[in-house]
Amino acid sequence: MDIGWFLPEAIANMAEKVDSLFILISWVSLAIFILVEMLLFIFLIRYRRRRSDDQGLSIHGNTKIEIIWTVIPAIILVIIGVLGSQLTYDIQRPPKDVYTIEVAGKKWAWDFKYPEGFKTTNELRVPEGKNILFKITSNDVIHSFWIPALRMKQDAVPGRQTQFWTGALKKGTYSIPCAEYCGTMHSMMLGKLTVVSQDDFNQFVKSGGKGGTTTSSSASPAEKGKALAQSSGCLNCHAVDSSKLFGPGWGGVYGKSKKLADGSTVMYDDQYIVESIMKPSAKIPEGYTAPMPPQNLTEDEARLIAEYMKTLK
Amino acid sequence: MTGEHAVRRGFVRDWLLTVDHKKIGIMYGIACLIFFFLGGAAALLIRTVLWKPGTPEILPGPDSFNQLFTMHGTIMIFLFMIPMLTAAFGNYLIPIMIGARDMAFPRMNLLAFWIFILGGLVILSSFFLGIPDTGWTAYPPYSIQTPGVGLDLWVAAVHILGLSSILGSINIIVTVFNLRASGMTFNRLPLLVWAMLVTAFIQLFGTPALAGAVTTLLLDRHAGTIFYTASMGGDPMLYQHLFWFYSHPAVYVMILPAMGLVSEIIPVFARKPIFGYRAIAYSSVTIGFLGFLVWAHHMFTAGMSLSAGIPFMITSMIIAVPSAIKIFNWLATLWRGSNVFTTPMLYSTFGFMGLFTIGGLSGLYLAAVPVDIHVHDTYFVIGHFHYVLFGGSMMAVLAGIFYWFPKVTGRMYSEKLGLWSFWTSFIGTNLTFFPMFYVGVMGMPRRVFQYDINLQFANDVATIGSYILGIGAILMVTNIIISLRSKVKAPDNPWGAKTLEWSVSSPPPEHNFRETPVVTSTPYDFGVASPRQFNEENVGTR
Ligand code: HEC
Ligand SMILES: [Cu+2]
Ligand SMILES: [Cu+2]
Repeated sequence: MDIGWFLPEAIANMAEKVDSLFILISWVSLAIFILVEMLLFIFLIRYRRRRSDDQGLSIHGNTKIEIIWTVIPAIILVIIGVLGSQLTYDIQRPPKDVYTIEVAGKKWAWDFKYPEGFKTTNELRVPEGKNILFKITSNDVIHSFWIPALRMKQDAVPGRQTQFWTGALKKGTYSIPCAEYCGTMHSMMLGKLTVVSQDDFNQFVKSGGKGGTTTSSSASPAEKGKALAQSSGCLNCHAVDSSKLFGPGWGGVYGKSKKLADGSTVMYDDQYIVESIMKPSAKIPEGYTAPMPPQNLTEDEARLIAEYMKTLK
Repeated sequence: MTGEHAVRRGFVRDWLLTVDHKKIGIMYGIACLIFFFLGGAAALLIRTVLWKPGTPEILPGPDSFNQLFTMHGTIMIFLFMIPMLTAAFGNYLIPIMIGARDMAFPRMNLLAFWIFILGGLVILSSFFLGIPDTGWTAYPPYSIQTPGVGLDLWVAAVHILGLSSILGSINIIVTVFNLRASGMTFNRLPLLVWAMLVTAFIQLFGTPALAGAVTTLLLDRHAGTIFYTASMGGDPMLYQHLFWFYSHPAVYVMILPAMGLVSEIIPVFARKPIFGYRAIAYSSVTIGFLGFLVWAHHMFTAGMSLSAGIPFMITSMIIAVPSAIKIFNWLATLWRGSNVFTTPMLYSTFGFMGLFTIGGLSGLYLAAVPVDIHVHDTYFVIGHFHYVLFGGSMMAVLAGIFYWFPKVTGRMYSEKLGLWSFWTSFIGTNLTFFPMFYVGVMGMPRRVFQYDINLQFANDVATIGSYILGIGAILMVTNIIISLRSKVKAPDNPWGAKTLEWSVSSPPPEHNFRETPVVTSTPYDFGVASPRQFNEENVGTR
């Protein structure tokens, strides 16, 4: 019987191996489950009390049978343990020829640094058919880098490097949730893995991590700003309406005056927006005590985002 | 006026300042049930938010969601399950079951109770002063950075509650070793007492590790120390080691007494001796030891090398064996019994045995390192430990509440309502927690409000299940309240049970026994050599 529906799509060899262990454990569990529940049901019903003064049989135990039901589960568990150990070693040992991508978790986005030197946020793009090694760390608190389609996960721990590797991948788009609770917007810390052909990947590298991600060059500044805000993880902290997530909402604020934490007011215009993005600690809005964590955008990109913010009601 | 005054002082003296182990046990029980409803309300709110994915609309903001699951976990573990089992059942039952008049240190017992209440109040005060949002595990560095006093209150409460359970454990250990009635040898101890004794040792050895972990957290927060600050040479993983060195054994603190409870109940309603008394008793001891050797199975993906997880995978597999032994022994107890389906029996068999099995089996996935890499920190884990703690421990607690209700109150409960509350909680448990395995494997992390829209149906089933559980809980309390008011007096021994508490009146007299009992056999001497012979001779059951 295929119980694959109980598992998400597996896009690598190793993921399939993990699945086969998963399925093995499922069969063992199912067998034990059926045995126990069946006996439970049968004994309870078959030996239910028929007359109010009926008594059970006075047997206190049986050493032989105790030994049997100690040893058999132990053997089953040892087998699972041995298979599990072998697979653990396989998962741990990366092959020699790997393409290494550095992953850094931060509140609340994933940064990816490619060997060619460029960086992306939340957008992880890899070529199909290559071995890839992820070296994982964190810039602030503990996160956990999880790619369900690979069945792989390692915590991103500040001051420590963890890693996992994967063999050839299948083309497609897959999610990268953060699995370790990391604060307010942990739920929204979602990256995206895109597996593309080697050609497309070369294109992507040549463009310094931009190729194909953002909108075409013919898009309006506001549209470009929107794409930037999405890919840079701004929207994890800022709502596009006026509601407060971790940071202030962006909807309907442009062109109005804004109260700051020190009691003064400023005009919410392009200049304020760009300054807020490039130098978050310069002006802090009312209701906040700590500045926004630094964002890696250029001033031009910040202007595009300002264009986008103008369109939000 | 004066009359009322006298009554009031009587209440303070009779209850709040009592050193009677039974009354202290009852007070623990009531306090724990109140906390249970609080923690349950948080759970229902969480499930309501999860009705659909996205930023919670019914809450002020994302932080409130994080605070909710923190409070749910903290309350259910520290203010409900641990004290309910070890302190409420422990206090009421241990002395009377071993033929003692009270605990070894009655005043310390009262002190431990009030320290517990203080700890509970500190946690409740955070609703007004600032709620922690770290999850009940409070991992640094997040827990060091999180602003407000919420986490400080949490740390204070953990310390206070830890002190209470250390005092309680000492009391239980000394009581069991020194106050057994004559003839009550260790091999005649009720299995619940065995379980409680092992549990007390676990708490005594484990709690200090937790205290150390949270103290260093507090120092990092306020005294400028760097235990967990990586950039200055600290190590956040040290906390996780300390935390789980306590908190894995704490899982057994929450399951061993539950196993003890059903070990008392099943033989009585099967009218058969417990099968394999020694196997059950000694497997509790084995679990107690092994429980301290598995903690790092919570950390397979935390940053240690994967192969370092292998020894912990092996120990975690081994610890499943003593639990399996117990399940098989209970099954064998039912075999050729004369099983009657009272509410406590249903909770113990279909409830505890049936659901704990699922909880235990799902643990195999988590123990296996390669599979755990995928399912760790997902809803699969939530499903697993709720099958253990709700399907297991909670079912046993409910079994226990109904089983000892006549003894404690002197009134019978309503069997009809009891059956209703059993079936609602049984169905509710499965509807709530089974879908969690599925959504976890499919990619939903724990502690999130955002999830893939394809998983909404499964989440909705879980939410509906949780409402059914809520109804079950209300039915249970309704039953208690209605039965307390009823005029139907409970007999001294309605179940024909043989542990010592049933040999005295219901409720028991102030110092339990007018004459110190003398014990001559285990409390499970039920059954006859051949059922036919019994029917012919028609021997009385008591
Ligand atoms: C980790 C959460 C977080 C992320 C991610 C984030 N911000 Fe912020 N942002 C904040 C907080 C908190 C404030 C308020 C404190 C401040 O002004 O420094 C803020 C303030 C701002 C402000 C000033 C808003 C006002 O109402 O005064 C702007 C503009 C802004 N952020 C833009 C961005 C952009 C553009 C990005 C993406 C590149 C981004 N933010 C990403 C948290 C975040
Ligand atoms: Cu996270
Ligand atoms: Cu554990």
